[in-house]
Amino acid sequence: MAYRRKTPDYAPKAKTFALNITSMTDMFTILLVFLLQTYSTADFKVEPVQGVSLPLSNATTEPTKAVQVSLTKTELIIEGRTIASLDQGHFGKADLESSDSNFIKPLFSELEKFAKEKADDPSVKEGKVVFQADSSLSYDMIRKVMYTASMAGFPKLKMATVVGN
Amino acid sequence: MRKRFKPKISHSYEFELDLAPLLAVMVKLVPVLLISSAFVQVMVIETDLPQAVKEAVQNQEDNKDLASVQIDVSRQEGIKVIVAKQGQQSVEKIPVLTDGSFDLPALHKQLQKVKAENPKVFRLELVPGGDISYNEIVKIMDEARKSRDKDVRFPVWDSTKQKDVETDYMFPDVTFANVMEG
Repeated sequence: MAYRRKTPDYAPKAKTFALNITSMTDMFTILLVFLLQTYSTADFKVEPVQGVSLPLSNATTEPTKAVQVSLTKTELIIEGRTIASLDQGHFGKADLESSDSNFIKPLFSELEKFAKEKADDPSVKEGKVVFQADSSLSYDMIRKVMYTASMAGFPKLKMATVVGN
Repeated sequence: MRKRFKPKISHSYEFELDLAPLLAVMVKLVPVLLISSAFVQVMVIETDLPQAVKEAVQNQEDNKDLASVQIDVSRQEGIKVIVAKQGQQSVEKIPVLTDGSFDLPALHKQLQKVKAENPKVFRLELVPGGDISYNEIVKIMDEARKSRDKDVRFPVWDSTKQKDVETDYMFPDVTFANVMEG
């Protein structure tokens, strides 16, 4: 009888194996194309403020560096700092000038301070403001911000919108 | 003479492409792009216009005889397009639709007509009522900014080319006329 020698179970197996990375490369290529499409080349990016639902617009102008003022349903924010709160969609009496209901006192003082501190900044010199406002807010509220910004020497209001139809 | 030996070379062979360096580059690129990508594209509405249109807007400021175009927006009365020219004023009313929204296609058509009659006018005075939402104001500005119809274009004088060129811009220079009102 022919005797066949059996391979012992403890025989060492190959420790390295070739990983098939073709499918992974495919996935990365698709991801790369998608990211390249959404890549922003703008020198200044406007981050949408939490609580603000920006209106859709067909405007295609890239934002430029400017003071950022945001008006949500509950607060008025300048450069990320809350300067006034809104009660049921209206500014409190303490925040408005008694003789002029369109004049927001904290916004005026902050913008005035900004103009003094960054007097050499070209965007401040030109009086530019990037304004983010919730799409549901009424013109009455927006007008107060526009009016006060104009009074503080920031008449060039750029209205931030989200790209869409 | 002995025949010279010619080795037979097969040109059809397969080889495995080394994708590891390519993958290494991609792994580094993906985080960089992820950080700098803008998933929500925020744009701004402003009057950054082509040179010819900019010049035309500038010329408009010097020319006081041009018509002035004003849009009054009211929740009750709808949209009123008021054109004042040489002491005469014409008013076109666009009523609110039955669902309470504004008739934006009708407004666009009316503005195209006004622009065709006054091609040198680029400024629009917007007078929205206090109860008009910001969203509706942006929509109205969108309707006024550019002509959507590809076959509707307006002539504008280009000083560099010394001839009239066509533009789709209608009223890109929007001013809120009632901001400073008490």
